[in-house]
Amino acid sequence: MKGTELVIKALMDKGVKYIFGYTGGAIMPIFDEMEKKQCFSFMMARHEQGAAFMAQGISRASLSTDNPQVGVCMATSGPGAMNLVTGVADAGMDSVPLIAITGQVPTHVIATDAFQESDVVGVMMPLTKQAYMLQDVNIIEETIHDAFFLASSGRGGPVVIDIPKDVQIDETQSDYTFKAHEYVPDIPGFFYSPFPERDAIQKAVALINRSERPIIICGHGVICSNAGKLLRQFIEKTNIPICFTLHGLSALPVDHPLSLGMVGMHGTVAANRTLPQADLIISLGMRFDDRVTGNLEKFGVRAKIIHVEIDPSEIDKNVKTTVAIHADTKEALVRLIKDPELISKPRRLWFEQVDAFRRERLDELEAELKRGTGKQGQLLMKTIVRKLSDITLGKDIIVSDVGQHQMTLARFYNFQTVNSWFTSGGAGTMGCALPMAVGVKLVRPHERVWAICGDGGFQMNIQELGTIMEYETDLKILLFNNGYLGMVRQWQTLFYDGRFAGTPLKNPDFGFIAKAYGIPYSKVATLEEIEPALTNAADHKGACLVEFLCDPSEVILPMVPSGGSLEDMIISLSDKRISPA
Amino acid sequence: MNIKIHTKRRALVAFMLDQPGVLNKVSMLIRRKMYNVDTITVCKTRTLGISRMTLTLCEDSDDKLNQVLKQIEKMTEVISAKELDIDQSFWREVGLVKFEADKDHFKQLSEHYSFDILDRQNHEIYIVQLSGTSKTIDDFLKDIGDEKIIDMARSGLTTLEK
Ligand SMILES: Cc1ncc(C[n+]2csc(CCOP(=O)(O)OP(=O)(O)O)c2C)c(N)n1
Ligand SMILES: [Mg+2]
Repeated sequence: MKGTELVIKALMDKGVKYIFGYTGGAIMPIFDEMEKKQCFSFMMARHEQGAAFMAQGISRASLSTDNPQVGVCMATSGPGAMNLVTGVADAGMDSVPLIAITGQVPTHVIATDAFQESDVVGVMMPLTKQAYMLQDVNIIEETIHDAFFLASSGRGGPVVIDIPKDVQIDETQSDYTFKAHEYVPDIPGFFYSPFPERDAIQKAVALINRSERPIIICGHGVICSNAGKLLRQFIEKTNIPICFTLHGLSALPVDHPLSLGMVGMHGTVAANRTLPQADLIISLGMRFDDRVTGNLEKFGVRAKIIHVEIDPSEIDKNVKTTVAIHADTKEALVRLIKDPELISKPRRLWFEQVDAFRRERLDELEAELKRGTGKQGQLLMKTIVRKLSDITLGKDIIVSDVGQHQMTLARFYNFQTVNSWFTSGGAGTMGCALPMAVGVKLVRPHERVWAICGDGGFQMNIQELGTIMEYETDLKILLFNNGYLGMVRQWQTLFYDGRFAGTPLKNPDFGFIAKAYGIPYSKVATLEEIEPALTNAADHKGACLVEFLCDPSEVILPMVPSGGSLEDMIISLSDKRISPA
Repeated sequence: MNIKIHTKRRALVAFMLDQPGVLNKVSMLIRRKMYNVDTITVCKTRTLGISRMTLTLCEDSDDKLNQVLKQIEKMTEVISAKELDIDQSFWREVGLVKFEADKDHFKQLSEHYSFDILDRQNHEIYIVQLSGTSKTIDDFLKDIGDEKIIDMARSGLTTLEK
């Protein structure tokens, strides 16, 4: 068989339904074979970065469905492959399974600076779980199977397969066979152990039982192992308050009585006040990112730490653990819940303290939400998000870009559906939302999907409106236009004496842009218009764009200054200014 | 500059698939962690397809070093990685030295060190091969005298546990 046929066969055998990509010289043979076979829904992104994020959307959103899939994107050599890099790196930072297939110049001209040659393996190697360059047509199928296995086993991540054009059109040996359904990848250096050791579980249970002031931090691992329901059982059984990392959100309803909301740089007052007081921190599938911990030296100083984590290299990396449970979060939770020794305690004093933290600033916040506009009468993002949350009952899927609007969504959307929150966290890649939402909608077709962007990030992958138009993707696009790179402006307000270097944006008429793509558009400038606009968008069939004119001076608080500890959290603008680390 | 000077020399040994790119991956990680590799050697093992890498660098913190080991182990081509305790293992290297020495000096050197003579020109210029600890080789070079050394090469450390 021909290389291209094997590529297509392997992808089909791995259950691939959607391919996102962009063609060019070195990938043409594979595209041609796809066209002949007509076996995938192919979507042409308008930029390879878009294709990578669309593929991410497939992986992220399908993991909680009956049919988890690994997203696949394709690009040509050189510039095509290089345009994928940001999306691939982003997948690595967020542990998202992803397969990127790139065409490469023919083997005999590799490393001669041939036309559209770039060292894809060299560039991708430090960003991926594995980067292959195929030099032999006979190992195409095996490599693709290995790639899917690596991308989706243990901690997820991207795998790149670079295929020189001559290998694509080569024929296999006459005795070539490959039994896809019997093939078991054998990767000697790849270990992962989903099951926790009994000893660690016992030690953890003892710590939990003894603790008077425990708290759980729920991370992305809970979502990735699809353990939301178990988590709920666990917290209810043990009576322990819980907070979430950015990617832990939507593991369980965020208004659960034990929930304190998000923790960290833009966490809630309640979570950020409670965490430093804890005597036990139970971290589930998270990696103590600096956006969560703040200053590490002051993090959890009063607490013992139980760390459940599938990737052993994360254990003791930033925070020294008392008990490490090296396992899949779901398997660890199963064992913990089933442990006959695990008890529930009332912990009255602890909850009194926690409840006091919950009340702090609450009235001011509610007043602000109600007021809904800034000094110039422009809309507050938090009020729009609160309204969106009310209208959708917190049940819809939210795909967010990066910036103030993202943190506002994380804080104020009342997530009810498991795995309904998608954004770029680890890398914080502006422009992720529009393309990611395209992938999300494909694998969750019966749910409403909102793609929410700032005016900066919207323009980073604005070209994907073309994809949305062409494939009639039913996305509700909300544009929070504050005329600034708002999140950076916020730092400038707080730490750079209000000098707005490189943050004001002269924006185009977004109404015309929507029109050019045939996407219905409305603009919202007043409080009264918010609700009807959102309801219209929710009821509209097909894509639509709603632009909100937002107050550039709104700051998303609390905020833990970079390098500060959770206790240094700024909760109101009148707090003394702290210089950046 | 924001660079901490570490003084504790450590040896890491890793077993890995003998494939292109693996050395690159490990050294890229070491660079990313902002270490300077002191020595690195790679050789075959008795198992076909598996290589042994010995890498030395300076790091004072045990925790930091463990993190490096875990991240090396995470690579899909790496079978295992560990640190060798300096007291529980032998660290050796080979030095090849081309130098000038008169009769007396050469005699002196051969009484103190055991080396193989690989080449001798005009009875005054030698190429010798010496193996031993890094210190032995350092001492040998010192005893030859810097001005007498014409050229030299050292293999970098390779190690074995007791
Ligand atoms: C690709 C990329 N470039 C730069 C940044 C740094 N950055 C983080 S948030 C932000 C501002 C985002 O502005 P906008 O999209 O308008 O959202 P807002 O914060 O105003 O809601 C910037 C520039 C980034 N995260 N990603
Ligand atoms: Mg903005």
